[in-house]
Amino acid sequence: MKKILSLITLVAMSTMLIAKEVVVKGSDTMLNLTQRLAEAFAAVQPDVLVSVSGGGSGVGINAIINREVDIANASRKIKSKEISSARANGVQPTEIVIALDGLAVIVNANNRVEKLTIDQIGAIYRGEITNWSQLGGANKKIVLYGRQPNSGTFVFFREMVVKGEYASHMIQMNGNSQIVEGVKADEGGIGYVGLGYIHDVNGVKPLSVAQKAEGPFISPGDVASVKRGDYPLTRPLYQYTNGKPKGAIRNFIQFELSSAGQKIVEEAGFVPVTENYIERNRTVLE
Amino acid sequence: MHKKVLSIVVALMATLIFALEPGETELEHNGWFRYTNQSSGLKLLDPSISRFSLERGYLRFSHQWTAKFFTKMTVDIFSSDKYPDGATVRLKEAFADLTLPLPDFNLTAGLQKHYFGLIYSWDYTHPEKSLADDQGVCASADYGVTVNGFLPNGLGELQLGIYNGEGYKYAGKYVNLSPELLANLRLTPFAGLALGASVFTNASDYSPYKNDKKGRTGTGTNIVFMNADTTNKNRLAIAPMVKIAFGPFSLTGEYIGYNYTRWFSYYKINFDSVGQIIDSTLTEKTKKYAFSGIDLVPTLVLLKRRVEVFGRFSTWERKEQHDDSMVVNKDKSFIRYGAGFNYHFARREKGKPGLEFQFAWTRTQFKNTEIKPNDSFLAQVRFEWNTIITKQQ
Repeated sequence: MKKILSLITLVAMSTMLIAKEVVVKGSDTMLNLTQRLAEAFAAVQPDVLVSVSGGGSGVGINAIINREVDIANASRKIKSKEISSARANGVQPTEIVIALDGLAVIVNANNRVEKLTIDQIGAIYRGEITNWSQLGGANKKIVLYGRQPNSGTFVFFREMVVKGEYASHMIQMNGNSQIVEGVKADEGGIGYVGLGYIHDVNGVKPLSVAQKAEGPFISPGDVASVKRGDYPLTRPLYQYTNGKPKGAIRNFIQFELSSAGQKIVEEAGFVPVTENYIERNRTVLE
Repeated sequence: MHKKVLSIVVALMATLIFALEPGETELEHNGWFRYTNQSSGLKLLDPSISRFSLERGYLRFSHQWTAKFFTKMTVDIFSSDKYPDGATVRLKEAFADLTLPLPDFNLTAGLQKHYFGLIYSWDYTHPEKSLADDQGVCASADYGVTVNGFLPNGLGELQLGIYNGEGYKYAGKYVNLSPELLANLRLTPFAGLALGASVFTNASDYSPYKNDKKGRTGTGTNIVFMNADTTNKNRLAIAPMVKIAFGPFSLTGEYIGYNYTRWFSYYKINFDSVGQIIDSTLTEKTKKYAFSGIDLVPTLVLLKRRVEVFGRFSTWERKEQHDDSMVVNKDKSFIRYGAGFNYHFARREKGKPGLEFQFAWTRTQFKNTEIKPNDSFLAQVRFEWNTIITKQQ
């Protein structure tokens, strides 16, 4: 009997040690970043356990609609249909921008091509340009690597760059890392990934990108340009909560937006939030 | 029968194989294995119905051709006593969907959702049908063309449609020159409230003819030949709805108002004194019907969405024209109430049911108090899965 009692006490005490849990789910682009933020937050507030998982922006947003998570990570904005479903469920999606991401267009490190315009990249992904020789590169067939339709990155790239339908022969990969690995192993390959996924990676190189043929061509590694919004493929990375975040959820988000959190954003290869987003976030959190 | 079912499934699979490019294909199955016990006055051991059945066996095939073009087909392979092998197959959905230049709006053509009241968003948290479906106001799917989509900023949804107006079981047998026109608006102004209304009108419905007497009736010199062209005309239905959600609790409700004029005709055979037919006279008659009801479903979600506890309260009143007045048909008007629960063993990725046990008790009390209340117990295992086939991973 005593043994049972002490076991119950032990279980109760261990439960008390981790009193609160914040569940985060969604965008694969944001997965590594949020995990790093969660680890750092554990040192600041050890009584809160932040658990982070991926699955894609759509999966994360669905999870917040169904009240399964506290925070949804999304590399795209929530859709009107999703807001409507959430409201009908008694959920008010509230938007916070925790970082900016320059989407990098990558090619194999041995590829001669260094820069492309948005129109050229669009034509490549629509299947209209099919050989690197058409762009000043080697006589090699272009192999397209991209994400799956449940990915926010897939949607963002289609809307901003492809401006039409992806070519049917694009190889759809599960995540950013798989695209990097694919392009690394394929001299004809081209892919698009979040900035965080080309940080300290060999075997692939990011292309400089310009809106127009006359330039300027900007590298996604040029943080200042991404921050100013000059890099053509800059996008905000969102988190959605149900209503104004409170308690441990609010504490975690405030940590993400603090200078310590934004330093981790930068270390992870993303870009800290700019003044206009800081102001927007403040309105939400106050 | 099973050969027929098998060949349809194989044909569909073959279509899939050749339809993988360029986007995704989704294959989904919904299986509902149900036990029903129905009796008058809680006589569980002396029921009028006691049976196991596969109530639903949906096979869904969806294909996203491009970002703007989507197609879907659903067949239902389910238990049925009408066929010697105990099962049959029916077409439940088959449509093409095109994204319109208007943001978040689509044009859908084919056998598709019927956007009326709660019927199109009924997710079977309560395992029985929505009131409009149950009482035959309309079917959950119909042949038609709709413009459907979502208003900006999550404000709600809007659908406008033109349908056969006869449901998915009827297509092409009759000339239909008065298709159903439908409008549905559902607003979500803020978190926790959805309210809306639907209306459909101007459709002739040939489907009830099956329930009417037809052919030869009567004996001797009093023989009447019913005409099979019994039709419900001037149909008009409205359904305002509301859903209130607060934390784990939600209350979904709708009011249904429905009326039509039934048109029917019969030949009266005239005989002479020795029983020889002299002639026949065609008589055409009309009779007005009016229905109204409410349906309320409170639901409480518990234990991280593992358990749902629900109740249900419905009323249904049927009025029929007798001479110049409308009289309540007490045998077919009722109050219905009940309760039940669902236990989710597993959910699918987007929160949809995966493996679920459902139990519901429902009592129907007729306005004619001489009819004993009807009790229905329903236990169901709902097993649903889907898989997305992508080109390459």
